[in-house]
Amino acid sequence: MVKKKVVIRNLTGLHLRPAGVLCNKAILYKSKIQFCRGEVTANAKSVLSVLGACIKCGDEIEFICEGEDEEEALASMVKIVEDGLGE
Amino acid sequence: MYRGTGAGVSAGIGIGTAVVIREEEMVIRPDKTDDVRAEVERFRKALADTAARTERLAADLAEKVGEKEAEIMKGHLLLLADPVLIGEIEAAISGSGICSEYAVETVLGNYADVFASMDDEMMRQRAADMKDIKVRLQQALQGIRSADIASLPEGSVIVARDLTPSMTAGINPANVAAIVTELGGKTSHSAILARALEIPAVVAVSGLLEQVADGDRVIADGGEGVVLANPDETVTEDYAARRDGLLRGKKELEAYIGRPSVTRDGVAVEIGANIGKPEDVDKVLRYDGEGVGLFRTEFLFMERSAMPSEEEQFEAYRAVASRLEGRPVIIRTLDIGGDKEIPYMGIEKDENPFLGFRAVRLCLNRKEDIYKPQLRAILRASAFGNIKIMIPMVTCIDEVREVKALLEELKQELDEKGIPYNREIQTGIMVETAAAALMADVFAKEVDFFSIGTNDLTQYVMSVDRGNEKVSYLYSSFNPAVLRSIRHIIACGRKAGIMVGMCGEAASDPMMIPLLLAFGLNEFSMSASAILRTRKLITESSVKELQAVAERAMSFETAKEVEDYMREFVSQ
Repeated sequence: MVKKKVVIRNLTGLHLRPAGVLCNKAILYKSKIQFCRGEVTANAKSVLSVLGACIKCGDEIEFICEGEDEEEALASMVKIVEDGLGE
Repeated sequence: MYRGTGAGVSAGIGIGTAVVIREEEMVIRPDKTDDVRAEVERFRKALADTAARTERLAADLAEKVGEKEAEIMKGHLLLLADPVLIGEIEAAISGSGICSEYAVETVLGNYADVFASMDDEMMRQRAADMKDIKVRLQQALQGIRSADIASLPEGSVIVARDLTPSMTAGINPANVAAIVTELGGKTSHSAILARALEIPAVVAVSGLLEQVADGDRVIADGGEGVVLANPDETVTEDYAARRDGLLRGKKELEAYIGRPSVTRDGVAVEIGANIGKPEDVDKVLRYDGEGVGLFRTEFLFMERSAMPSEEEQFEAYRAVASRLEGRPVIIRTLDIGGDKEIPYMGIEKDENPFLGFRAVRLCLNRKEDIYKPQLRAILRASAFGNIKIMIPMVTCIDEVREVKALLEELKQELDEKGIPYNREIQTGIMVETAAAALMADVFAKEVDFFSIGTNDLTQYVMSVDRGNEKVSYLYSSFNPAVLRSIRHIIACGRKAGIMVGMCGEAASDPMMIPLLLAFGLNEFSMSASAILRTRKLITESSVKELQAVAERAMSFETAKEVEDYMREFVSQ
């Protein structure tokens, strides 16, 4: 299991479109991909779960990846958030 | 005749024949199924059908209206493919052996309730999406086709309880004269889409469906929020004339897109827009703004729990500058103070906030955590477009010198790190305090431009709190004291050869524009929707002819005399 923290830069936080970009990336990996902020944990492969976490701009989230391609998955998730999730 | 009132959410007048959209009530019962595997298969097929229809709607919408409007439907597609959602519905079917309709009802209904109870407006809107998907899945399961809005006859007025996002997405603007609904609000999907499609719309008309029937003649006034059904012939004619007038006026103004803002006697000015968020650039481009005369940066700092990072600010400034493609973007540094409490910034309520610790006063006191990151973000963004920096609420020249010294320090830092920025970046001031107005000649020697903020200038020159009803009668930009200040500021700027603009409400006031042209104002900045009518007014004016008007206006002693005179002049 690998973990890394990253800060959300999108002005509107993780609303529908950026959440979609995030999930479309996550489903490319075999590993279980989650992120948490405080007590809330979300499944990065589910738009519904990502939306439900109610992440706003400036929030720090921690990705947790577990599985055969976990290193790759983690690096890729962190990068796509840093790149602004398509915005 | 029936007359109903609601919220006008998309301006314009529409006259046509009512098409009442009634969604069939579906009865969803917790029926049991014997063959769980077949039931899951039935659900999967309905899911695939719904996804395919949604995909077509999204493609249609992207082509007809725009990518941005299609995003809601693309979001529905993501939800229809969500593994958690599908998993929960399938688990409900196979776990308790209930029918697909009921499983969909429970799972999606539950999510709709969760979203509806969230604090965030954007998230609350997701509740409507969940319900929309729920109904469409259930319709697919039962083989019911929802009302087909795409093929309505020309001149239809859509009358409904509420329009779901997927229904609105199917609207063909050529055939729909207006939209009227019993529910909804200014920010609902249907309102947003109606504005984008420029279809007049009135929402939140209570009791509408009891009063309007299929085939009724309906008039909707989206500006006033009024709905009439089966009106008299004369009322219809009256509205038809107003509708035609509005359409003609709109066409006439559209002719000014792409034309320069030059007076009859050849004086060229610039008409820009005031914006508060990066998304506002859409409107600036739509109404052909020649630049952004005021980019308020407060939005980055409001309604949040931590300071925005330099990176986040940089992204916002860069996004605006690059979309304006070389046209000027004047970014006003943070204009915030004790009229609002901002706990994370340690800003407390001020006893007298508009005379207190705010704007540049506060920023110069908080260089490390507030001002430097903002100025550095602006400097970095200046490599991507024509950005200018504007300092708000300046009262004395020392403040300007201190900001400029700070900018020099930051530029040196960027040089050392090899980070690109515009070395020639212009720095100007908002002229909005009495002190700055009186000393305009001194400021003009040390800054690159002025922008007159008439809202605050009027407040400070007249010593009147415009929010206080007991004294608001004193608040007029036509007061001779304010007009003399404006004339003086413009004259000082022109003498020093710097640009003088205005970004207050007065810049788009047809009664004020003749005076500003006569005084020699170079740049007018206003809300984007006022740009074209201002350009029309300016191209029809002659500065030479307006000199006499201004001279006469400046000879009066009271605001009322000036206002009466200008009203008279404009109505001619």
